[in-house]
Amino acid sequence: MIDRLATSKLHASLAAGALLILAACGSNTPSATPKTYTGTLTFASFNPFTGPDASFGPEMAAGCIPAAKTINDAGGVLGHQVQCVAVDTRGDPADAVPAAQKMIATTQNLVGMNGPSSDEALATVPIIDRAHLPMFADSGQAAFDKSTYKYFYRLTPPDDAAGVAMAIYAYNKGYRRGAAVFGNDLSSQGNVPNLLSAFVKLGGQIVVNQTLTLDQSSYRTEVTALVAATPDVIFTEADPQTDAAYLSQLQQLHGMIPVVGTQPTVQPPWIKAVSGAIGRSTLSQNFAAAQPYSTSQGPAWEVYNTALLASGSAVPQPDQWSQDPYTETDYDAIIMMALAMLEAKTPDPSFYNAFIPKVVGNAAGATEVHSYKEGMDAIAAGKTINYVGAGGPVAFDQYQNSTGAFELIGYAANGSNPQLAVVSASDIAKLRQ
Amino acid sequence: MDQLIPAFGFGLITASILAIAAVGFTLQFSVTNILNLAYGDIMTACAFAAYLANHAGVNIWISLIVGALFGAVFSMLLNRFVYFGFVRRGTRLFGMIIVTIAVSLIIQNLLLAIFRPTFFSYTASQGPSYHVGSMVFTASQLAIMGIAVVAMVCVHLLLTQTQLGKAMRATATNPGLARSSGIATDQVIDAAWLVSGALCGIAGVALVLNTATFSETTGAAFLVPIIAAAVLGGIGQPYGAMLGALTIGIAGEVAAALISPSYKDVVAFVILIVVLLVRPQGILSEIAAAKEVAA
Repeated sequence: MIDRLATSKLHASLAAGALLILAACGSNTPSATPKTYTGTLTFASFNPFTGPDASFGPEMAAGCIPAAKTINDAGGVLGHQVQCVAVDTRGDPADAVPAAQKMIATTQNLVGMNGPSSDEALATVPIIDRAHLPMFADSGQAAFDKSTYKYFYRLTPPDDAAGVAMAIYAYNKGYRRGAAVFGNDLSSQGNVPNLLSAFVKLGGQIVVNQTLTLDQSSYRTEVTALVAATPDVIFTEADPQTDAAYLSQLQQLHGMIPVVGTQPTVQPPWIKAVSGAIGRSTLSQNFAAAQPYSTSQGPAWEVYNTALLASGSAVPQPDQWSQDPYTETDYDAIIMMALAMLEAKTPDPSFYNAFIPKVVGNAAGATEVHSYKEGMDAIAAGKTINYVGAGGPVAFDQYQNSTGAFELIGYAANGSNPQLAVVSASDIAKLRQ
Repeated sequence: MDQLIPAFGFGLITASILAIAAVGFTLQFSVTNILNLAYGDIMTACAFAAYLANHAGVNIWISLIVGALFGAVFSMLLNRFVYFGFVRRGTRLFGMIIVTIAVSLIIQNLLLAIFRPTFFSYTASQGPSYHVGSMVFTASQLAIMGIAVVAMVCVHLLLTQTQLGKAMRATATNPGLARSSGIATDQVIDAAWLVSGALCGIAGVALVLNTATFSETTGAAFLVPIIAAAVLGGIGQPYGAMLGALTIGIAGEVAAALISPSYKDVVAFVILIVVLLVRPQGILSEIAAAKEVAA
């Protein structure tokens, strides 16, 4: 009796589950004909605008806004003007999931997005993919190296590749005793495993590996442990306040040790916090950071930078993003989506998504274009295009990842970021796990 | 193990800041029965007030006084024009907690709107370093510890040696009876907000001197240890808050030295939970129990 009851309950549950799955699938199945759009098309910058990684959002929005400007200046996409909206994930999956659901449900004419970041990617990529919304993630998580999400794209290298680049640079500089000092957030921790293994494979030694609880008032005990381990280089990524407190307390207790950071450590909030805490000259003498290599020159970059600098109040201090590889690729992502819409002859994401890899395909006879306007004219002339963007050429692998080399940059006392070294993609590949 | 004594010294610095903040926090609760979760954000606002003075060329220690004055006046006005209205309408403890959370968010977002999402630092030297055994302190840290000691002595003298202090204690224990006995409880409550607000301001500036940089969320991130110290000592009990601050401050640093920095907060809060299991009212509290009965 109990068994029968249990069996019938199981059947009922399975039937209900199947119905729910069917209903869910049904609601997400693209229609056979493209949706019709009226009014302005919207691209979202889905990233943290508040919280420990609040610097990520403005960096991303600074790419979308000039892209929208160049598109609109060229007459828009298929008769539509475009706009950017900021969606704050707070860098926390608990906030990001409802933010993604709300964005998808309520944003009018939402046709594509930049993001998510490492902080919220694992939780939100499946939701966004199910909604058939093309996303250009700035997530560095290695979990997406072999992504099978149809609407997921990535133009920047994963965090663990950054860790390898940091190790190679430090080893080549003659450092042999490394200290890993990373925040306990997802974004920071993504760099650690490959950094540690690469530095050891190269012949170095990790003398201390610290995971910092963020935003504590004191890190003196951690600093004392670090000093006792006698490292000759510190590898780091933590939020600006954490690194500022840590490094200033290191300076008080011992004196500065050379620091190699990740890309977030060259973002303006980190630089402002840390240089305010330890002094600009100390920072410029002791600091290098790995970031995706971008030439920050050439015709596409010129178009990007001109539009960026003309953004007015929409992008505060726009010149701070002129050479930021993430902002450049965020810009490129919007341009690529717009060009794919032209190729597909519709802004409907379910239809234009398949054309995204085609606008950067380096097919024989493809016309190289460097702006939305050039691409639009070439498509109108019936040509196959290959968009080479502000961040450089794009070459997607089978997982829709396009990654490349890293550069190590310093911080000059005048605020500029001189290039210190370039680490090639092949050198990184040899040491990645 | 050789890092234990330096860690104890570093714990004293954290405990000093925590003690100033926790005593102010618990004083507010004991006299007014308001668990002010906007306290951390008021600390940040005070740090910004001191920052403005400091960047206008004022010495950092004078700026600290500016921060304390700002905290005193701001806290008193906040109570008079926001919190008191709810208290008068009979809003219960839980309702008031929600109101203070709302105030916390408002302050944080106002600071964000005014100062933009970036980081700030004072123009201040840490001064020379001094070795006390294997412990190392900068002049600025010694000053912070000195300020904490002076503040604690002043609070002790206020509560035990002055008419105002006695009136505060009477109001804390039984406001109705205090009023019936001729104590002007409204003025006593104003005074309590002024004093606790000044402590809040000092703690905010001292915190930023310690972290070297700050943003609109700095004080809020420090609120949890403040509440932990206050609860550990017995919420509403200033001497308990001092003891709680010492325990939380030192336990965190010692745990970081002995176990791992990742367990810094964990160990401090395990101690909190263990103490509360053994002594639910906190280490020193009598007032907390009385408040629970009244609520």
